[in-house]
Amino acid sequence: MMHCTMDDLLALKENEASAWAKQHLETCPACRAELDALYQRIAALKALPVRRPARDRWPAVRDAIRADQRRRRRRWGAWSLAAAAGIALLLLVRPSGGRVDAAELQRVKQQSATLEAELDRYDPDGRVTSGRTAALAAVLEDRIAVIDGELAQLGTPQAPVRRAELVKLWQERVDAMQQLMSVRVTRVAYVGL
Amino acid sequence: MTISLAVPDILVARARAGDLEALEALYRAFETPVYNLALRILRTPEDAEDVLQETFLEVVRSIKQYRGEGHLWGWIKRIAASKALMRIRRNQVRATEELDEESTGGPGSTGGVPMQIDLERAFERLSETSRSVVWMHDVEGYTHEEIAEQMGKTVSFSKSQLARAHARLRRMLDAEGAA
Ligand SMILES: [Zn+2]
Repeated sequence: MMHCTMDDLLALKENEASAWAKQHLETCPACRAELDALYQRIAALKALPVRRPARDRWPAVRDAIRADQRRRRRRWGAWSLAAAAGIALLLLVRPSGGRVDAAELQRVKQQSATLEAELDRYDPDGRVTSGRTAALAAVLEDRIAVIDGELAQLGTPQAPVRRAELVKLWQERVDAMQQLMSVRVTRVAYVGL
Repeated sequence: MTISLAVPDILVARARAGDLEALEALYRAFETPVYNLALRILRTPEDAEDVLQETFLEVVRSIKQYRGEGHLWGWIKRIAASKALMRIRRNQVRATEELDEESTGGPGSTGGVPMQIDLERAFERLSETSRSVVWMHDVEGYTHEEIAEQMGKTVSFSKSQLARAHARLRRMLDAEGAA
């Protein structure tokens, strides 16, 4: 008598089995036992204990991250403050009417990406900032994080109404980043918060 | 193993800004699941630790691209799986012999041990490729399509690897039970 192969059993488990295999399972206790054993093996694999690393690799990871950050800072060092200030003055052009199209969304996203790249190059760790300035930067960073959370929840909707909402959020993100940029560049203690 | 790792958006934002404290918090949150995944797929704790380190450095370098689409653990897991698979390919270049799963008896084959210990030992005797397919499919819940894409192989390769691995596991557990 022909029995189910392991391929057949796995197909049965996935509900993709051939008519023959389904039929055979009805009449063959041995194959039913094999299928049960397959389920049990998988359940046992899932129940294997979680293994933890014996050594702490964080110090090595941290050192590598620091080396990366130092490299970026050196790149920044070559930058002039004037150039950074110029970028901080990038002005956000708001859409005039209520018309919000895909291009608008694309534009504001692009603006956000540009600012983010500049902020990234302007490494705050390399500069001495006052407590007030640092606190302000932290508030702005948190605001950006909250906006990111809202953006993540919205996803990428196709409906125009939700797209308008999306553009508004992206604009808020750009605003916050521009303020953050000016805090970092000019170390101002007040940005109208 | 079920993982429900919720990481606050604020923490991700700080990590993205390069804040070392936030990065360490993120590392601590995911160190065990990443290591466990790597260890189940690879052979040695050293390899698994290397994958843990490589995974996290990749996470740090590309976290700016992570926009919160999908779960953070899903994103990190994908990086970890790809690092582990990369290491398998490297290991295979080093050691050309395909490991003979059934020939090595292993030390201390005692009878009457619980099923779970038998299975864990049998699973460890599978080749790294078989283990990665079984682990990703049966435990982590990847589809054959996703596994094929990550491994750069076909769907039928993934399916046949899974069937072969289960056939071997079954034979090994059978032999264990009869011994
Ligand atoms: Zn049968």
